[in-house]
Amino acid sequence: MDLFANLAIGFDVALSPSAMLYCLIGVTLGTFIGVLPGIGPLAAIGVLLPITFHAPQTEAIIMLAGIYYGTMYGGSTVAILLNLPGTAASAVVAIDGHQMAKQGRAGPALVMTTLSSFMGGCVAIIVVAGFAPPLAQFALRFQSPEYFSLMIMGLLAAAVLVQGPFLKGIAMVVLGLLIGTVGQETISGLPRFTFDTLYLYDGLSFVVVVIGLFGLAEVLRNLALGADREKVDTRVGWRELVPTKRDMKDSFMPTARGTGIGAFLGILPGAGPAIASFVAYALEKRVSRNRRNFGKGAIEGIAAPEGANNAAAQTSFIPTLSLGIPGDAIMAIMLGALMIHGLTPGPQIIQNNPEFFWGLIASFWIGNLFLLLLNLPFVGLWIKILSIPYSILFPAILSFIAIGIYSLYREPLDIFMVTGIGLVGYLFIKLRCEAAPLLLGLILSPLLEENLRRSMLVSRGDPMIFLERPISLIFLILAVLGVGAVLLGSWRASRKPQTEEGSAK
Amino acid sequence: MTIRTLSGAALAATMLAAVPAAADFPDREITMVVPFGAGGSTDIVGRIAAQALSERLDVPVVVENRGGAGGTVGTQAAAGMDADGYAITVATTSTHVVGPLTNASVRYDPVEDFAHIGMIAETPYVLVVNPDLGVSDVSELIAMLEEAPGDLNFGSAGQGSTTHLAGLMFLAATGTEMEHIPYGSNAEATTALMGNEVQVLFGSMPAVLSQIQAESIDALAVGTVNRSPELPDVPTMQEAGVEGYRASLWLGLAAPAGTPDDVIATLSDALADSVGDADVAAQLASNGAEALAMTPEEFRTLISEELVTYGDIVAAMD
Repeated sequence: MDLFANLAIGFDVALSPSAMLYCLIGVTLGTFIGVLPGIGPLAAIGVLLPITFHAPQTEAIIMLAGIYYGTMYGGSTVAILLNLPGTAASAVVAIDGHQMAKQGRAGPALVMTTLSSFMGGCVAIIVVAGFAPPLAQFALRFQSPEYFSLMIMGLLAAAVLVQGPFLKGIAMVVLGLLIGTVGQETISGLPRFTFDTLYLYDGLSFVVVVIGLFGLAEVLRNLALGADREKVDTRVGWRELVPTKRDMKDSFMPTARGTGIGAFLGILPGAGPAIASFVAYALEKRVSRNRRNFGKGAIEGIAAPEGANNAAAQTSFIPTLSLGIPGDAIMAIMLGALMIHGLTPGPQIIQNNPEFFWGLIASFWIGNLFLLLLNLPFVGLWIKILSIPYSILFPAILSFIAIGIYSLYREPLDIFMVTGIGLVGYLFIKLRCEAAPLLLGLILSPLLEENLRRSMLVSRGDPMIFLERPISLIFLILAVLGVGAVLLGSWRASRKPQTEEGSAK
Repeated sequence: MTIRTLSGAALAATMLAAVPAAADFPDREITMVVPFGAGGSTDIVGRIAAQALSERLDVPVVVENRGGAGGTVGTQAAAGMDADGYAITVATTSTHVVGPLTNASVRYDPVEDFAHIGMIAETPYVLVVNPDLGVSDVSELIAMLEEAPGDLNFGSAGQGSTTHLAGLMFLAATGTEMEHIPYGSNAEATTALMGNEVQVLFGSMPAVLSQIQAESIDALAVGTVNRSPELPDVPTMQEAGVEGYRASLWLGLAAPAGTPDDVIATLSDALADSVGDADVAAQLASNGAEALAMTPEEFRTLISEELVTYGDIVAAMD
């Protein structure tokens, strides 16, 4: 195993003063931009990409990677403190994270985010360094039928994600699936629900939906509460900033499981990273002894998705670098950046540019370390945000949302759209309908449909294709077992006298 | 911007004043709309052109990415920008031929609503196959297709996309059949080819070049008239015996219709000079694109002709 020799090459590059400087600049920029509501990794990388054109090639990519995971850290911070998630991943973290913040436990929540992310990142880096080429080959065996079956399993995660009344939650998933059908359908090329405008041709922008349903709706809710807004105790001492021993113990296994799920799903182009946080959260909610506290500020509900999210972010570089195939929009930009810098992504990159490849891998680790060092002292500072009077905070939030949304596609209509969706989101809050299952439905919808129809085209109409292919079959069996477990659980709960409000019927 | 708010008389006065001022063009930064996302192959080619133009015109040329709906969203926006030469857009096979033909919501006319500036580059379609298929040239592929019509799958970046039409063009030219499997992007289609879910793909050069070089997929032919310098051993479709097959993805520049002729001439000269530059050509080549110069008239004619060629394929599609 050349793992150590390779990593030695990598650290040689990554520990050079210039690489470390660019890495530090990247993660710092990323963190601060990620904290702004409405600006997720996609917007941040899109906006900052031109800055990197002037840096040397390896340093430029290291900086971009730093911006990428820096933004995710920053995104989690603002999701927890203000319930303003900008990505699907941070929306999951916000479920329990924001509840913790309300209970005055923002400090432990933020520290745990940092620690879980660090752990997730570290483990995933070893996976990337040790097994990138064979894993990339494995990812190729995921074709349409496998993706379809994986998405079916994802739907199951949605069922578990539901907090309140089961029927309401499922209705939200279905609504998400339906909203996901807006736009041009890939297989037939026909537009659906586009009202004959180009604006809706690519469907509703995901970021617009997330910011509207969560961020804007939260602002509206706070404003509507007026003087009744929950006062968050921000005068917390240093001692209360750090997680307790019990927090650490409770979080270890969830982080480990989340990391495993994230590292695996991250390898799959397209589907993986988006659903990793959801799946990790759903699994934890099933297996945790503390499951009754999920949604009410359970630290496990932060640890698992954060570990998954960061692990997936690292391993999603595997197909991008070793196959030259971008997994998502962010990776497509990264790939473009490689080409602008004269590096050809693809299987040859490891042989032709070993310093670059291993340097980047090593810089992941250094970047994560920087984030840890950067974020821990800042936790106290971030929490201070909560003590800003809301009358000053909310116009700032609204401005940042508007700037962030506009900078994404320079599309003025997006601002109107986010406003409309924000009003709908407020209505959902009033009706006690949760937005997270809707979000998962929205992510899964096109993936489910496209891969189903593609599989049927490939098999010339024979549905047995889902059972004949082993990987697909395994996912379907897992899904069936999962449904069984959920049904059994709710049957048991219905027989037990209800002791706690909000338990599944 | 302010022009719109002026009264008619003032507008006329401004326009009179603007005519001699065109000799000073350009005296401020030019916005170049790239109707696709940052980092994509159109973006890369657009940025190379922007840099080269900026050096020749001595003003910054700022790239503005406005992606969406196969490039038609940004193109529609560009068509409505001020026609003063300070707003230009990257015009491609997608935005100016295939998009308007296949997308009923497109509101612009690719010929009438633009003042065409010239060509930047073209990227060949490459006929690539999965190595497990066991064919080494186009005639073997055709023989296999004739033996078992409709058994093989070909992928594309979506129903009605440029890569889909390139495939249909091949089937029409050879009288063969394959099942079309659409994907969401060139990257997804290439992955599917490597995983053997589809056996054949008419891929755009930037999307497939690194995979061909790594020998994870095999290139059988290129759709351009001449062989590609990047793949000198791969024959053209003509050489491989497919008569009348000519398909490439081109990328040029256009301004909104009504942009003064002398401004277009300035831009066109600067563009032709850029494209003729060996350094620029080398940058384009390393991204799978071949520098190609065209006068505004030639570019306009090409678009009109391709609207007819592709129009026939689209009409036969349903």
